Amino acid sequence: MSGPLIVQSDKTLLLEIDHDQADACRRAIAPFAELERAPEHVHTYRLTPLGLWNARAAGHDAEQVVDVLLEYSRYPVPHALLVDVAETMARYGRLQLVQDPVHGLVLHALDPAVLAEVMKSKRTAGLLGARIDATDVIVHPSERGHLKQVLLKLGWPAEDLAGYVDGEAHAIALEEDGWAMRPYQQQAVEGFWHGGSGVVVLPCGAGKTIVGAGAMAKSSTTTLILVTNTVSARQWRDELVRRTSLTEDEIGEYSGARKEIRPVTIATYQVLTTKRKGVYSHLELLDARDWGLVLYDEVHLLPAPIFRMTADLQARRRLGLTATLVREDGREDEVFSLIGPKRFDAPWKDIEAQGYIAPAECIEVRLTLPDADRMAYATAEPEEKYRLAATASGKNRVVEQLVGQHEGEPTLVIGQYLDQLHELAEHIGADLITGETTVRERQRLFDAFRTGEISKLVVSKVANFSIDLPEASVAIQVSGSFGSRQEEAQRLGRIMRPKASGRTAHFYTVVARDTVDQDFAAHRQRFLAEQGYAYTIKDAEDLGVA
Amino acid sequence: MERMSTFTGFLRSSSDERLGALLARRPDLASPSPGNLTSLAVRATGRASLERALASVDAVVLQVLEAAVVLDGATSAALQDAIAGRRDAEVARAVDDALTLALLYADQGPDDERTESLSADAVLRVAPGLADLLDAHPAGLAVEVSGPAARSGPAGTPTSPTTSLTSALPDDDEPLGAPARAVLDALAWGPPVGLAPAPGTTAGDAVALLVARGLLVRGSGRHVLLPASVALELRGWRTHRAVATPPDLSDAPSRRPETVAAESASAGERCVRLVARLLREWEHEPPGVLRSGGLAVRELRRAAQLLEVEEGEAAFVVELAFAAGLLAQDDDEPAAFVPTADVDAWTALDLPARWVALASAWLVTARTPWLVGSRDERGNLIAALDPELSRPWAPRLRAAVLRVLARVPGTAPSAQDVLDALGWATPRSVPPLAAVQSVLTEAARVGVLGAGALSEAGRALLPPAPGSAPGSTPGAPDAGPGAPGTAPGAPDAASAAEAFATGLAPEVGDLLLQGDLTGIVPGRPSPALEALIERAAAVESRGGAITVRFTPDSVRRALDDGLTADELLDRLAAFARGSVPQGLEYLVRDAARRHGRLRAGAASSYLRADDPALLAGLADDPRLADLGLLQLAPTVLAAQASTHEVVEALRAHGLAPVAETPDGQVLHLERTVRRARRRGSRRAFTPVASRTVDTLALVRRLRSSDERGTSDAGTTPATGASVPGAGPAGTTSSTTSDAASSGSTVSDAGTPDDSNLRTGPTTHDTRAPRSSAPAGTADPVDALALLREAAAERANVWVELVGPTGRPERRLLRPLRVEGGRLRAADPVRESELTVAVHRIGTVERADDLAGTDQEDM
Repeated sequence: MSGPLIVQSDKTLLLEIDHDQADACRRAIAPFAELERAPEHVHTYRLTPLGLWNARAAGHDAEQVVDVLLEYSRYPVPHALLVDVAETMARYGRLQLVQDPVHGLVLHALDPAVLAEVMKSKRTAGLLGARIDATDVIVHPSERGHLKQVLLKLGWPAEDLAGYVDGEAHAIALEEDGWAMRPYQQQAVEGFWHGGSGVVVLPCGAGKTIVGAGAMAKSSTTTLILVTNTVSARQWRDELVRRTSLTEDEIGEYSGARKEIRPVTIATYQVLTTKRKGVYSHLELLDARDWGLVLYDEVHLLPAPIFRMTADLQARRRLGLTATLVREDGREDEVFSLIGPKRFDAPWKDIEAQGYIAPAECIEVRLTLPDADRMAYATAEPEEKYRLAATASGKNRVVEQLVGQHEGEPTLVIGQYLDQLHELAEHIGADLITGETTVRERQRLFDAFRTGEISKLVVSKVANFSIDLPEASVAIQVSGSFGSRQEEAQRLGRIMRPKASGRTAHFYTVVARDTVDQDFAAHRQRFLAEQGYAYTIKDAEDLGVA
Repeated sequence: MERMSTFTGFLRSSSDERLGALLARRPDLASPSPGNLTSLAVRATGRASLERALASVDAVVLQVLEAAVVLDGATSAALQDAIAGRRDAEVARAVDDALTLALLYADQGPDDERTESLSADAVLRVAPGLADLLDAHPAGLAVEVSGPAARSGPAGTPTSPTTSLTSALPDDDEPLGAPARAVLDALAWGPPVGLAPAPGTTAGDAVALLVARGLLVRGSGRHVLLPASVALELRGWRTHRAVATPPDLSDAPSRRPETVAAESASAGERCVRLVARLLREWEHEPPGVLRSGGLAVRELRRAAQLLEVEEGEAAFVVELAFAAGLLAQDDDEPAAFVPTADVDAWTALDLPARWVALASAWLVTARTPWLVGSRDERGNLIAALDPELSRPWAPRLRAAVLRVLARVPGTAPSAQDVLDALGWATPRSVPPLAAVQSVLTEAARVGVLGAGALSEAGRALLPPAPGSAPGSTPGAPDAGPGAPGTAPGAPDAASAAEAFATGLAPEVGDLLLQGDLTGIVPGRPSPALEALIERAAAVESRGGAITVRFTPDSVRRALDDGLTADELLDRLAAFARGSVPQGLEYLVRDAARRHGRLRAGAASSYLRADDPALLAGLADDPRLADLGLLQLAPTVLAAQASTHEVVEALRAHGLAPVAETPDGQVLHLERTVRRARRRGSRRAFTPVASRTVDTLALVRRLRSSDERGTSDAGTTPATGASVPGAGPAGTTSSTTSDAASSGSTVSDAGTPDDSNLRTGPTTHDTRAPRSSAPAGTADPVDALALLREAAAERANVWVELVGPTGRPERRLLRPLRVEGGRLRAADPVRESELTVAVHRIGTVERADDLAGTDQEDM
């Protein structure tokens, strides 16, 4: 038997990881294949147009890809697949967006037929201006983003060589006192800077903020940072003050509460997408300064209006940060065309192996509902079923037991339903943070949690993202947004900062057996299971003795 | 006809080998076997036979024939010179080919001795009648009609004699001038007909000059012709510029042998799997047969969904199963497409043998699945399995296309490349590009091609090229595989299977089970593993390896099949590398725990009572045993008997039950009034064409017997004629040929019994057996109807019975009953009664006005 890789005709690549050559092969295919699943024996990668175009954007060509497949494949590689790889990759960059000294922004075609094809399409109408010659056509600068979106949809992704405006210079430097950028963070920054714009994918807790700070230092221009919520905005601010030469005065917050515009401005998605009388009233922020860099935190959550605004920001460098480039709405292609190709990606388990994120144990606790609950569940309306199952009263006892087991360890209890959370908070005697909690109160509680003043916290989905709680080492999930895979991953991410004591983090998800809760849980776990986090199943009844 | 006699003489003088080769290459000459050489000669020069022979020859042979028409009586050497400009082996080969096919013959005089080989200086002529089938201007030359061997010239050939060959062109002392030269040059390489320009112009004057000099001949209207003799001289005594060469296919993209083998094997494996999957589904839920004989679009769509392929491919799979004799129409009412008994034998074979059975059936089938979904000339959508989908040329086309590929091993020519090659190989019958494309697509699907190139396995199955193996009849369309694996027309099934097996991924018995509830077979699963996967998991991806996912549904399926959780886990553990992951174990145990907690059963009615005491004992009461009572709960009994019977029985038992409606209302039970649902009368599956013909023939026969009486019926020959006074020959022969053209063989030896049996998987004519009762028969359904009608009316009918020896016998009968497949009838003439199986009845005719007339025993 030779070769660790099996190439399937449906464009999945199966990598047998116990094979001698598995590591070499993984490194070889990583640039162009998307890791789909990484369970214990065989990792599944997939060849997608986006993945192949990402590889092209990173400077790989079809010949290299084909060679890699042929070299590592155990069985003959399906011929149609090789042809398809070559054809797909050849589509990227046949069209280029370039700056013409005379005409300004121009769509340049290496192949006139392709230009003719896209110009004939109805979708490019209005985006393109006058035709200069057989291979060039003027592009309205305001439509640069839209055009890229449309070209991607047409299957002819354009290579954006038009460059970026320099933006207003502003000195930013990293202050590496007592800490240093990790190698992979460095690589991520380099990868991004070399590519111009794009997305960096790193696990939760692997220090994406540092990558952002590194990019800002590299750019040394005024920067607009878009984040998910106010708490996250303040964390960014604190982190930047700590890690860079920036002072508090140079960093502005543009949120519901404050509207400061400073050389580095941190804005929330929410304030940008707020409409007043049918118009986005805060768009002026985007033009308020000559930004040299726009940073998108949690790119997988980018709301649709931000995409539209981003389309107008194509002349500025853009960096997207995320842990999971899985969008539940399937708009990965918009991320690709508007923010940019994936510039850096590291499997979770790799980072964990290097010790930069805490090892985590995932446990699914299955709770058998008492007969009364089962009867209530069986007769409930379909839309009520999940809520009923997810908030089963038996979960309180399970949470109590789990909290008891991890007495003294910083523990988060995360849930979806407020009634349930209130009840739980009361039950285990912990503080509660929900959307209703004021920002000040949230800050206070999080600070107390960080300092170890309190060790238990019950939180709603407001804590899903970007809440930096380094010492949290136990998370107990009692309910969630149905089958959201990225929510599960983000919640696990809350406890993955490496611990001072080096101890293993525990992630519990409490599930009502034989209900939709269990089905949703299975779906939620898929992303993590695919990243190699195997869930152990425990029966709630066994917890007491365990 | 002098030519005819010399042609016959050529045949007569030909060696036995030569005649054998001729009959092998032109099978239409051999069947039915000709009486003597003269009749063979006549047949070989018949227009249809010549056309057929011409359709099979390549471009060089065609050039030879053209040259031979032009240079009537040339030697082989002269033909080579005329075509190639020198002695040329390829042309010599073509001359020999043409001689073998008797398209060319050596004019050696009728009295020559039989010769083993033809002398090199033999005078060669084209077979009588052949010239008419070539272009009006063979090789672009206007051939004169003159000389002793004159033939009826095609329209437009000159009728006036022209100048002799040698003196056609003027000497230099009388130059023609540039315009006249230009006219000659334009016409020299054909076509030799030009439109004369208006007189007075330069060109017009030049033409006039040429006509005056006898170098052009005025034809009809304003046309002028360049006589062949002149043209030949202009051409330097060449009939063709060059020998036609086959297009060079070596530029086509090349494929590595292991890629070809692997891809053909994986396509073949997939094809076998799809056919098997389809059959497994249809053995439980067979789809009905449309009135027109095909498969409903809805059923095809369902099959496509089941197989997870597009409808076009689903149609191919269905047709392939049908062609391989694994699927047939049953005789039930309403008819359905059902897997045949051969399926069990086929399933028991190993994968390569199963593939060979399919691939060889595909090669020889006359079915054209790619037409499914298109519209016929009447605008109707063509359904899969439609009887009209058979095309006799389909197997020939497949063989021709694959032979082109066989010439360029390891390359993947495009459809256009193949078409170009066919344009050389068989210029007289070039298929449309779409058909070639379809054949290539099918070949790729069935796995005869891999990555677009012919696989070794496919090559082994390819029937020998015509001429390469005398005595074989290549690609006989009706020769379906007699038994799976040993298909006739599959010259080398064993080596094909062997070649196929080399491309398959190695068989493994390993299953890598993973925590995310997936499993991977890193190769081709062993049969036991494959069965387990099919039973207990959902396949996510196939190829060199198989990825499966275990879901609650898939596990439930395994439990439904009768496995317990422990058995399933044990089997998984047996194949697993390492242990069964905890998640999977939980999945299986959870599914097993839930499995069967709900129980369903059949009951016709129920009994309920609020008072358990009332029901207690009823279930065990022997007097109520007939009701099939079963205690489900203390207050509920289920019964197998109907509500009515239960109520009656309980009343008889001294109880006072009432019936209730589903919502609990008391129903005052009256005696149930029963009605049968009338079933729409459906006709059996019989082709429309033969039905209409039958009625027409019947009318004609009735009228002719009406006019002529039956007195001369005794003169009817015994073979096949079933009609008294078969008189107007047209009646009998037209029905016979109709039956023949509908695809069946008119078996003169076959009794109706024989022809009603399915004799092995035939490729395209399920309807044939039913319609191929002895010639002139009535539709069996009609015949039965007529018998029933006559029985009801106490009328007499003429019935043709087939005796134990297979000889038909006509008798006047009065049917009494038709039931259980038997007819009981009175014979008014013999004053006796007889019972006869209906399948021994050929035709039935009403005989009211013939009653009492003569009847004959034959």
